[in-house]
Amino acid sequence: MHEIFSQLAGLLAHLGEKPILVIPVLGAEIRVDWMTILMSWIVMALIVVVAVLLRRGLRQPVEEKPNRVQATLDALIDLLHSQLSANFSSEDLARKMFPFVSTLFLYVLVSNWLGVVPYLDSPTRDLNVTLGLALLVLFLSHTLAVRRKGIKRYLRGFIEPYPFMLPMNLVGEVAKPLSHSFRLFGNISAGGILVTVVFVKFAPIIVPPILNLVFGLFFGAIQAFVFAILAVAYINVAVES
Amino acid sequence: MLQEAQSVASGISGADIATAAKYIAAGICMGIGAIGPAIGEGIAAAHALDGMARQPEMQGALLRTMVLGQAITESTGIYSLLIAIVLLFVV
Repeated sequence: MHEIFSQLAGLLAHLGEKPILVIPVLGAEIRVDWMTILMSWIVMALIVVVAVLLRRGLRQPVEEKPNRVQATLDALIDLLHSQLSANFSSEDLARKMFPFVSTLFLYVLVSNWLGVVPYLDSPTRDLNVTLGLALLVLFLSHTLAVRRKGIKRYLRGFIEPYPFMLPMNLVGEVAKPLSHSFRLFGNISAGGILVTVVFVKFAPIIVPPILNLVFGLFFGAIQAFVFAILAVAYINVAVES
Repeated sequence: MLQEAQSVASGISGADIATAAKYIAAGICMGIGAIGPAIGEGIAAAHALDGMARQPEMQGALLRTMVLGQAITESTGIYSLLIAIVLLFVV
């Protein structure tokens, strides 16, 4: 038993480290975590391949009975639709934003679940990825707000209800992407660290799969849902108010 | 007695004290930081359950709103977790 623990100790020593690739560009350095980029592309490839494979069986006349794949996909899309776009204020906005929000959900979900596989890191364990996604949502919501309300009404939204509330409103806008990204990053990376510590220090058998089930699959699904639904809420608030 | 303490103390360097302080700070940060979100999420769950018991047909909407509210409540706990991680692995 003691041998197992001593063999695993190396895992813990490299817990906080990331594989960094340094690219020198004109005297400056670009530091890249290649593992995150690789995993990000794996996640995207996985989603695209599965989508193409599932799409293939669906070429059939509309009047025929749906086959099993189509019925399953219908149910899944219906679930996503009822859970996510029911929170939009208008039907038009919901129809426009549903592809973006459901893609965000699928990407985060597959990223979180891929962290359960040994030797693979979730891309969402890197703050850069989650911050990027959160900034995407921020810019999208503000662009939509400008387009829907016009630049004048959009700018007036910052000095409501009173002009001296302007700093408060600006801080609120900055805090949105920060809390949005930190939440996902913190949950996923803390789950990974906890599983590794328990695996190395306390119980190398039986317990880690259960912890992975809870922290990887269950919390991963909940956090993906929360991320998507917060994106819905932010877009909605920016466009509506 | 005094000489003994001094000889022990001379073996402890500043780096050792910094390491000890790091671990203690991470523990305090997580322990105190988890109190608020825990109470807040408990309150949210309790009231959502109240609502579900009164109106079972509203269960879907209540569950969704509860999870969303809990996720937002949780963010202060996540901040303290991030600070604990920074203390443990970065500082």
